[in-house]
Amino acid sequence: MKRRTFMISAAGAAAGMAVLPRMSFAAEGTIDWYTSSDQNILDFWTNVVKPAFEAANPGTTLNLVDGGDNAGLQSIAERGLAAMSSNADPQADFFEGFDSRQPVGALEQGLWVDFEQAGLSNYSKLNPLGIDIPTNLPYRGSQVLLAYDTTKLDPANAPKTWPDLMAWIKANPGQFIYNRPNKGGSGLNFVRRAVLEANGQDLSKFTVDNATPENTAAMLPAAWEILKDIAPSLFDQGAYTSGNTQSLQLLGQAAVTMIPAWSDQVLKAIEQGVLPETTGLVQLQDLGLPGGFSRITILSNGVNKDAAIKLADFVLSEEIQSAVLTELGGFPGVSWDYVASDLRERFADIIPSSIPVFPSGPWEVAINDGWYRTVAPNVDPAS
Amino acid sequence: MPASPERRRPVGLLLVAVPVLLVLWLVIWPIISAVITTIWLRTPEGTQFSLETYRFFFSDGYSLSNLSVTLWTTGVCAILLLVICLPIALYLRFSDSKVAAYVQGLAIFPMFVPSIILSFALIRVLGPNGTVDLLLNAISLPKIRSPYLTPWGPVIGLVWDNIPLTVLILLSGLGNVSNQSIEAARDVGAGRFALLWHIILPRITNSILVAISFAVLGIFSAFTLPYILGPAAPEMMGPFMQRTFRDLYDPTSAITQAVVTFGFCIVFGLFYVRSVAKNRTP
Repeated sequence: MKRRTFMISAAGAAAGMAVLPRMSFAAEGTIDWYTSSDQNILDFWTNVVKPAFEAANPGTTLNLVDGGDNAGLQSIAERGLAAMSSNADPQADFFEGFDSRQPVGALEQGLWVDFEQAGLSNYSKLNPLGIDIPTNLPYRGSQVLLAYDTTKLDPANAPKTWPDLMAWIKANPGQFIYNRPNKGGSGLNFVRRAVLEANGQDLSKFTVDNATPENTAAMLPAAWEILKDIAPSLFDQGAYTSGNTQSLQLLGQAAVTMIPAWSDQVLKAIEQGVLPETTGLVQLQDLGLPGGFSRITILSNGVNKDAAIKLADFVLSEEIQSAVLTELGGFPGVSWDYVASDLRERFADIIPSSIPVFPSGPWEVAINDGWYRTVAPNVDPAS
Repeated sequence: MPASPERRRPVGLLLVAVPVLLVLWLVIWPIISAVITTIWLRTPEGTQFSLETYRFFFSDGYSLSNLSVTLWTTGVCAILLLVICLPIALYLRFSDSKVAAYVQGLAIFPMFVPSIILSFALIRVLGPNGTVDLLLNAISLPKIRSPYLTPWGPVIGLVWDNIPLTVLILLSGLGNVSNQSIEAARDVGAGRFALLWHIILPRITNSILVAISFAVLGIFSAFTLPYILGPAAPEMMGPFMQRTFRDLYDPTSAITQAVVTFGFCIVFGLFYVRSVAKNRTP
């Protein structure tokens, strides 16, 4: 009888939780902010941007919400798109780390604020490398590095060039892993670096609008050959983790010796003890692993659109852009001339003056599809 | 005074109307609209009837290998679930000991663990240099080859995740087996195996079918566990659809994959409907 009572009450509690009221309406003066980024970025906004912005704009508050990943933000964006056709309240204003090319049809229907037209006072300061389409506002960059276990690999022997890295991976089978390019920038930028290697390390060959079928068919296959060549020497003869965090986890479990990782994420992991103090970092010297810029997108039908635009402008100010460097370990989204001069000097040696930035958009689709079809099936499903 | 059949009928129909309309609106209509989207393709000259997306799916080696790995995973999971859950359900039904309550608690426990947490826990436990490896190492046994990032990773996760529902359904089916029939069979000398084969199994075939249908429907389109624990490629239909839709921005292909998935799932759905209908007929 006890068992049955337990079952009934458990089922009742579960059913009750499912129907708990979840209604809410956007409040005037409260910017509903969503992010797809990891915890370190949310911490940065909570501890640095929010207090500074709220102090500078009395009466406006920031409601910071972790939207999970890209898929999470996409479903909120879909809600915004649906709200647009019915003139309803999307209950969202501001997205951090989202590409305004999603969801399908949103650009055409004008879901996103065009920052060229929005009148940001700091818009002209943006690093031209980061700008792709006017509905994406690049506000911070970060770079992918190689993180490795110094107890197994002497820093003096860490690979410094792409050929060195390939040679090291083959000489140490099972000790390297990168994540699937569609889920996590560390693996994506490793794949992009292979694409650049296959095309003479020439970044200028890749622009946002030249990902034509002819170009992708001509420029990508050589990169797939490079990646297929190292696949048998990867962890578990060609396994790929499903995200940045999972790669860090394998490095932390000492299952592999080296992984590509985001600079800001790996620094935070070492600081918090997720990765041991003995974790080493190295960047390739012939051409660094590409980095990327995180974008801000703003819904054009949000209740607090104007406040959200003000926030976007605020984020590009010298105060916040310097904090991106000092607090986050990232790169500023504005050109280096607009960062405090002492910081510019302090970071001059650590951060290269040029971050290779690979264009997103159609190239990403081509790389994603090509990699899954060509490189990944190297895994023998029967093994 | 009982109401006459003529007066009762509209009330009954009204009561049924709400769920039926909901099913039409939320399930049937999206299916129809999905099928329409994939066979009337938008071209510059207007919409045209074409089976191109299906022709592509069934001639594309990559899509087919994704489909076959999904079928393989589903089949293996269904067999493992039956092998694991039937003994548990039999034990819970026929045991009067105190331990049974704890066993039931353990069997139901996975229901309360979200699959994302389960995934990361499994990486810690079964992953390379995980808890299992450490324990094996402590008693000087060799390391295992981790199922993480192989097709067996999602199988382990999905089986664990589906144990509660399967046990509950089997247990409810075992409720139909009366103690008297068991005792009667024992009296005429039936052994344990004969009891199971001739008395218990025939009465719970329906429940087994329902349990397997439910498990298969969930597993076929599972997302989180195959995504985090499984290999990059071939991928199961769930991650494949999601990637096609969200990373390749190709809704038409994603819907085609969804319709194909639905086609396989409907077979098991029909099993379920059939067994429910069979139960209803007096």
